[in-house]
Amino acid sequence: MVKRTFRGGVHPADHKDLSREAPLREFLPKGEMVFPLSQHIGKPAKPVVKKGDQVLVGQRLAEADGFVSAHIVCSCSGTVKAVEPRRTLTGGMMDCVVVTNDGQFTPAADYTKREDVSGIDGDEIVRRVQEAAVVGLGGAGFPTHVKLKPKDPAAIRYVIANGAECEPYLTCNDQLMRTRAAEIVEGLELMLRLFPGAQGVICIERNKPEAIEAMRKACAGKPRLSVLDLQTKYPQGGERSLIQVVAGVNFPLAKLPADVGCIVENVGTIYAIQRAVIYREPLYEHVFTLSGEPVKNPGNYIVRDGTSFQELLDAASGLKEGVTLKKAMCGGPMMGITMASLEVPIQKQNNGLTLMAEDPCELAEKEMTACLHCGRCTTVCPMGLLPQLMADAVMLGDLARYEGKLYGLECIQCGSCTFICPARRPLMQMFKQTKAEILARKRAEAGGKK
Amino acid sequence: MNALNISSSPHARDRWSTAYIMRAVILALMPTTIVGVAVNGLHALLVILTSVVAAVATEFAFDRACHKPDTWKDGSAAVTGLLLALSLSPTVPLYMTAIGSVFAILVVKCCFGGLGKNFINPALAGRCFLLISFGRAMSSFQLDGVSSATPIALLMNGKAVDITRMFLGTASGVIGGSVLALMAGGLALWALDFIHGEICFSVLGGFTLYLGLFGGQGFDPKFLLAHLCGGGVVMGAFFMATDYVTSPVSKLAQMTYGLVIGVLGGLFRVHGSTADSFSYSIIIGNLLAPLFDIYIIPKPFAYRRAALRAASGDKRSLLQRIPRPVVVLTVITLIAGLALSGVYAITKDTIEEQQRLANTASYKAVCADADHFEAVTAIDNAIEDLNGEVYGTAFGRVFIREAMAGVDEAGNLVGYAIRVTSADGFDGNITLVVGVNAEGVVMGAFFMATDYVTSPVSNRRLGQQRQRRHRRRVRRVHFLQRRGQRGQRGPRFLPLRDRGGNEQ
Repeated sequence: MVKRTFRGGVHPADHKDLSREAPLREFLPKGEMVFPLSQHIGKPAKPVVKKGDQVLVGQRLAEADGFVSAHIVCSCSGTVKAVEPRRTLTGGMMDCVVVTNDGQFTPAADYTKREDVSGIDGDEIVRRVQEAAVVGLGGAGFPTHVKLKPKDPAAIRYVIANGAECEPYLTCNDQLMRTRAAEIVEGLELMLRLFPGAQGVICIERNKPEAIEAMRKACAGKPRLSVLDLQTKYPQGGERSLIQVVAGVNFPLAKLPADVGCIVENVGTIYAIQRAVIYREPLYEHVFTLSGEPVKNPGNYIVRDGTSFQELLDAASGLKEGVTLKKAMCGGPMMGITMASLEVPIQKQNNGLTLMAEDPCELAEKEMTACLHCGRCTTVCPMGLLPQLMADAVMLGDLARYEGKLYGLECIQCGSCTFICPARRPLMQMFKQTKAEILARKRAEAGGKK
Repeated sequence: MNALNISSSPHARDRWSTAYIMRAVILALMPTTIVGVAVNGLHALLVILTSVVAAVATEFAFDRACHKPDTWKDGSAAVTGLLLALSLSPTVPLYMTAIGSVFAILVVKCCFGGLGKNFINPALAGRCFLLISFGRAMSSFQLDGVSSATPIALLMNGKAVDITRMFLGTASGVIGGSVLALMAGGLALWALDFIHGEICFSVLGGFTLYLGLFGGQGFDPKFLLAHLCGGGVVMGAFFMATDYVTSPVSKLAQMTYGLVIGVLGGLFRVHGSTADSFSYSIIIGNLLAPLFDIYIIPKPFAYRRAALRAASGDKRSLLQRIPRPVVVLTVITLIAGLALSGVYAITKDTIEEQQRLANTASYKAVCADADHFEAVTAIDNAIEDLNGEVYGTAFGRVFIREAMAGVDEAGNLVGYAIRVTSADGFDGNITLVVGVNAEGVVMGAFFMATDYVTSPVSNRRLGQQRQRRHRRRVRRVHFLQRRGQRGQRGPRFLPLRDRGGNEQ
């Protein structure tokens, strides 16, 4: 079998069996809905509703502020209760639009009517995507319309649909690809209209044979599309890992995928693009996996933005009896953000909730030994860095060596080194901090010069 | 609701821990240990146990005494103890084993900061410490209760060795001498990703390459295999050089490190006089490892030339993308290797003929009555049975290399000429031809100067050198005396006597 993968990487236990076969179910929340104004990279949106306004599903609650920003869309019908700071999943307070849900879910327009889009041009596609407030659903939440407008559209060689889903526990994209293959292919074809020289490649890890099968069937007879089955390995779903496999290119962190002729979009995003362009439906719901050993009924859901994590968990009959929750992660264990409380809203780019009854990080801290210099971190680094020497440089405070000779700023913080370290050293955490420190120092110096 | 833990991702850890790796190494050494005990008997087992227990106990005691967290449980001390024991002679007294083990852990490991901080491989350091302190006991080897020379000592004296016995580990040597068992464990560790192939294979490669190019016998597989199977090369390559702590990090640095160890090992093997040289070459490699880590740092994938070229759309064939120096060096190495092998093959017979003539001449010198010399099958067989060993270790490492019967013109036996070599010479081997007449009376002895391993200078040249040195000394004495006569500052020293001629 062809070894289609990037260099480095790790094989965490995937735990996908918990929810792999659970079909996608739509979850309609009953409680209060909270919409943070920043659910994307870039400036927070500006609210366009005020307390007491009646809102409908798909109605805009906040306008994008600038080009790299996205609208915020209501996912229920009801009354605006307040525009006030609320706690979000990262633990901080953020301005949010709070809507009292009337439980009717009355849509603002008919989103079931299929429109003939064969005549519309590229600009119209991008405009509709922007209107629909689509952001990257892979986790970062980068506004999609920005990605669809690279400097030189003719230079784009590959549009990569990211269905790798390398994160353990998460299975929602697997289910999405199995059940919505035709729609994803349609969305990808719409994207390809923008880039005349590009090939569409759908990348899926080999641990999802049904999804590969479904996508292959949907792609049959379409010369510009192909499905690539990839070795199951973390971080295979990382933008750079995919580009390394598809285009065979490694590129510095300062460059964007578009600079090497690639556009990478999550399959969920591509599905959203299809809905946005053909049905003019804004992005207000997305696929979501609820999983983890303590969860009674792990499953895949289509959730509405703004739903509370706790409400979803309770609706799925909560935790197993006698289990105390130790850790809750938005996303999977490799990249996920830990949450102090589940009483926070699900945002657009959140694709899962993983719960754990025991905390590997806590155990790791107990087991930590001195660095053995075993070099496993070096072997797994997908960027070809030397985490062990980087850690040495950080410990010695030699930031010049860290940044210069060791290219420490190139770290993509995938966490592979921390995962693999037999001495259980918090390598990636160290690099994250050091990187922030160096960048802050640089900013201060640049500011001082002015 | 109870408080949830907050931490930075990743929230998962691999199964492998420090203790897991150490357990795997111990497991990989088990075949060697079992073969070693089976071949060498109970005392070998006692040596292993003493070493392991002493190592673990030392670490435990040090941690307790210094109020540090207990680290003996991670198994690294046990690995050190086991490796040390396997690299010792099965006859070594237990107290020496314990001393070596304590030195390895206490001085080399704990005093430098414990696990991960030692600057050289502790097991090797312990072994070398014992070699220096108890040279005689360390280099005496027994097999089935009979002391005998190790194959590698025989090999360095130009004797033939039984490669099969070396490979299986039934030849005399250290406890962990079974190449087969070592390879089984080492290759398993490599296949399961516990040790870096870059290191072990470049060590073996560098060693083989050096011996092939400069060993004097070209790429003769028998010669190379004999050297690879002896003197701890395999154990060094798979278990000592690959020690995580004392080897560099990046693949490129690891290959350089391995090559340096291999080439040094070959250099010491060809030109050195001790059979334990491989330990020293690994230690030198260990000492260089931090330097490699400072200077040999590969760029991230995105900054390598290939990546930059791919990003700019350059499409050249694989052959064109191989860096030119690599191609040039490969070609040079191949040509040099072939040329040396060729020269060896052509000159082999001539050299042997010359050697035979020289031998005959020296036999004549000690057995003047003989007209010619004949090989006697009975004597040859007797020598073969001795496996080169005479009188045990009391005379040091002495080997009989050849014995010939002297026959006069009438065909009567007039005496024997025996060529013996001692491996205990200061600067190489000493070869001596002794003549014995038919009654068993020693008729004379003749030193063969051609036997210098380091400087093959002919008898005649050696004489010239001595004369030159003598003349120089005489001139200097005269000069100093003249200066004294002229009332200037007197001679500061006068050589008491001419030392010329006592090289042997």
